[in-house]
Amino acid sequence: MTMLLAAPALLLIAVVFGWPMLRYAWLSFHADSVLTGLEPVANGGANWLRLAADQRFWLDAGQTARFALISVSLELLLALAIALLLHQRWRGRGAVRALTLLPWALPTTMMALGWRWIFNTPYGPIEVLARSLGLNSLDLLSTPSITWLVTVFADVWKTTPFITLILLAGLQSIPDDLYSAFRLEGGTPLQALRRVTLPLLLPYILLSLLFRLAQAFGVFDLVQVLTGGGPAGSTESIALYAYLNGMRFLDFGYSATVMLAGFLLLTALILAGTLLLKSVGLLRPLDR
Amino acid sequence: MTLQLRAINKRFGERQVLHQLDLDVANGECVALLGASGCGKSTALRLIAGLDHPDQGSIRINDAEMVDVPAERRRVGMVFQSYALFPHLNVWENLELGLRMRGGSAGARDERIRSVLEVLQLSEQAQQRPAQLSGGQRQRVALARALLRDPLVYLLDEPMSNLDAQLREDLRPQLRRLMIGGEQPVVYVTHDQQEAMALADRIAVMREGRIEQIGTPRELYLQPASTYVAQFIGRPQMNLLPAKNGVITGIRPDDLRLDPAGSPCAILSREWFGANQMLLVRCDRGDLRLVCSGETAIEAETCISWPSDCEHRFDAVSGRRLPSGCPPSD
Amino acid sequence: MTHESLTHGPMTRGSMTPGLMTQRSLWIALLLVWSLGPMFWQLVSSFTTADALVNDQLSFWSRWTLNNYRDLLSTDPPFWRYLFNSSLVASLTTLLTLMLAIPAAYGMAKLPDRWKGSLRAAVVGAALFPYVLLFLALLELARTFALGNNLIAIAIPYSALSMPLALLLLTAAFEALPNDLEDAAKLEGLSLWQRLRWVLLPLIAPASASTAILVFLFAWNEYPVALTWLSRSDLLTLPVAMARIAGSSTYSVPYGTYAAATVLGAIPLLVLVLVFQRQIVSGLTNGAIKG
Repeated sequence: MTMLLAAPALLLIAVVFGWPMLRYAWLSFHADSVLTGLEPVANGGANWLRLAADQRFWLDAGQTARFALISVSLELLLALAIALLLHQRWRGRGAVRALTLLPWALPTTMMALGWRWIFNTPYGPIEVLARSLGLNSLDLLSTPSITWLVTVFADVWKTTPFITLILLAGLQSIPDDLYSAFRLEGGTPLQALRRVTLPLLLPYILLSLLFRLAQAFGVFDLVQVLTGGGPAGSTESIALYAYLNGMRFLDFGYSATVMLAGFLLLTALILAGTLLLKSVGLLRPLDR
Repeated sequence: MTLQLRAINKRFGERQVLHQLDLDVANGECVALLGASGCGKSTALRLIAGLDHPDQGSIRINDAEMVDVPAERRRVGMVFQSYALFPHLNVWENLELGLRMRGGSAGARDERIRSVLEVLQLSEQAQQRPAQLSGGQRQRVALARALLRDPLVYLLDEPMSNLDAQLREDLRPQLRRLMIGGEQPVVYVTHDQQEAMALADRIAVMREGRIEQIGTPRELYLQPASTYVAQFIGRPQMNLLPAKNGVITGIRPDDLRLDPAGSPCAILSREWFGANQMLLVRCDRGDLRLVCSGETAIEAETCISWPSDCEHRFDAVSGRRLPSGCPPSD
Repeated sequence: MTHESLTHGPMTRGSMTPGLMTQRSLWIALLLVWSLGPMFWQLVSSFTTADALVNDQLSFWSRWTLNNYRDLLSTDPPFWRYLFNSSLVASLTTLLTLMLAIPAAYGMAKLPDRWKGSLRAAVVGAALFPYVLLFLALLELARTFALGNNLIAIAIPYSALSMPLALLLLTAAFEALPNDLEDAAKLEGLSLWQRLRWVLLPLIAPASASTAILVFLFAWNEYPVALTWLSRSDLLTLPVAMARIAGSSTYSVPYGTYAAATVLGAIPLLVLVLVFQRQIVSGLTNGAIKG
């Protein structure tokens, strides 16, 4: 039976994606840290109670959600603009498209230090530019209320090409005839964008939204290397907090709890978003 | 070599596609499976090829039971409606692939391929890819591939439906010469009754998974067993008059005559084809199709009649033929 | 904005006024600056002396040096080692993923629709999942089965993480093949292996190439699993090595050297992307359409 062929691959996926969740669920009801000699000891819901009261966790959750939502929104807008530009035909389009893909190819950690330098106070080019324009020192990386925007910027820079490609695929799937017909009906280009392009692009937008939201929620590489979670924990994400609990504080029980909670929060966020979109009627094109 | 199907049943989900199908194809005989889409003819073909498995029943090729033999080992030569040529290989490689996998010396292979290409006039196209060939050429490559299989049975699934009428006429004799002449039974699936009449020794008209009637083209034309067969065979379609006294009367358009002593009728439309012409007339019995010589002058009002012994009579409820008939007009 | 800007539009200059054209050229230029600027800056920094980095008043000619590269290449372990490790892991992962995903995709393409839908949904779910959340449990597995610090073993989780995307792309590719082709091959007497080898695999080659490059890039870029599974400095993959260099000392990081590392580390990736950009684009495009 041909299903036997699929078994190894599917099994691997099931194990690698399924087992951790089960393990976290189990671990979250145990204490497993230096205090217990790195052996799991059942402790009921103590981890969960701790989580509920853990201000740092909730702060991180909020920061992560904020990062994810703002980042993804900006990426979508930017990617749409770029996709519209790349969708037209002009000489050199292919080359430009390839070049705009490059940021996506580089590992986040690699550019992270680059960003640290670019935004460095007082020597980075941004600071130098600000000085030459007569502005005060921007101190972008050490101001708790601003630094998270730098992480957003870095994230947008890296992942926009990915979304651009997906939206470009969507644009290419819209037959030109539709625009011709719309134009003959007397519609303006801007109206065409709103009434022809966007509705047909919706599935692709939603796909990108879903994918990027999930990825952004798990942001780790960027914050660990660019800011280390600082300054003053203002850029710390759930994933980073879980990592710290596990690797630095060696509190595996709590780390598992944090991760599981993060996953549940993400699921809740996505469900809420889906319900919201459904109530506004935006998901109707997907009912096939 | 013979082919025998017994009590074949096949169901897809809720639909019973083949009901207790029986079929015998003798040595060298060509049987056409004729019917509309969905009647099960292509399914039957796939079962013979081994591409699908019947729910019940037996399939015997040369008296050997084949139901549990996989398609790879059945030694069946099939020509697909889409030709199914491997797009990434050129003509030569398309023909060589199967031969190579089945073993044998390279020299013998090359010899066989070369001679088949010559017979089908494809020698010049040997290095070309299917995309570069015309429809007719692709079909000939598909034929060549089936021939090289040296099969026990030939199966053809609407092989000419993608070709234009002219090409079909040119290829029919070639097809007959190459495949229908030999010892292998041939099963030919088509929805085109003219093709079936031209090529087959016997035609099985299929409907909803059953064989409505099987017989020589002549038998089906002269003595259709039901209204369905009567209307399927023969073009233009047989006229069926509304039921009277529980009987449906059928008259073929070529049996209708322009007869000043007949029933008056009005001419609704006329299509002239050169050697003959078809008229649609309205008379007291209904709207009828009539075929006559192209040279006949036609007036707007005319009279028609038909010999009563050319009438076909069918039961109004079951559609089955009632004893009656038309003597052969030769 | 014009109607032409929404459609592919003919590439005639006649339909666009000169003003519109230069406006578009401006946007294109901005786009390129945005995309390439930061990398370009790294390039510039890599050739800049340590002094010049902190002092923008130095004269132009005294700013440049090759020392950064010299320092980089004389580290222990040498920098090219990380490139090698990443290449090794990425190659193994790609191989493993393709070996498992291709037969699986073949099987999945043949499933009756009933099963296919839910299976597809599960695979899509896995593809969207933020895999960083898995690292703790995966680390446990590494410790339990002694898979840590082993460049071959790490290909296993990497393969699993890239498998959903590979399955989606390859299944779609198999589904796009006309059924007749495999039927014809069967009747020619070809066994399953022969059909795959001579007919099916050649026909899905473009999709396989796209999948391969996307998996390769994923493996090269991956961080959390590599961070936790690899600790020996001569076994680090590039992202981990870069992070380690970056984290080594926050105050006196040799930025020039780091920039040189970025440049050297980026070159293979940039070359890969430029060479295979068509495969990457079509892979992501098809993934989007089928997703």
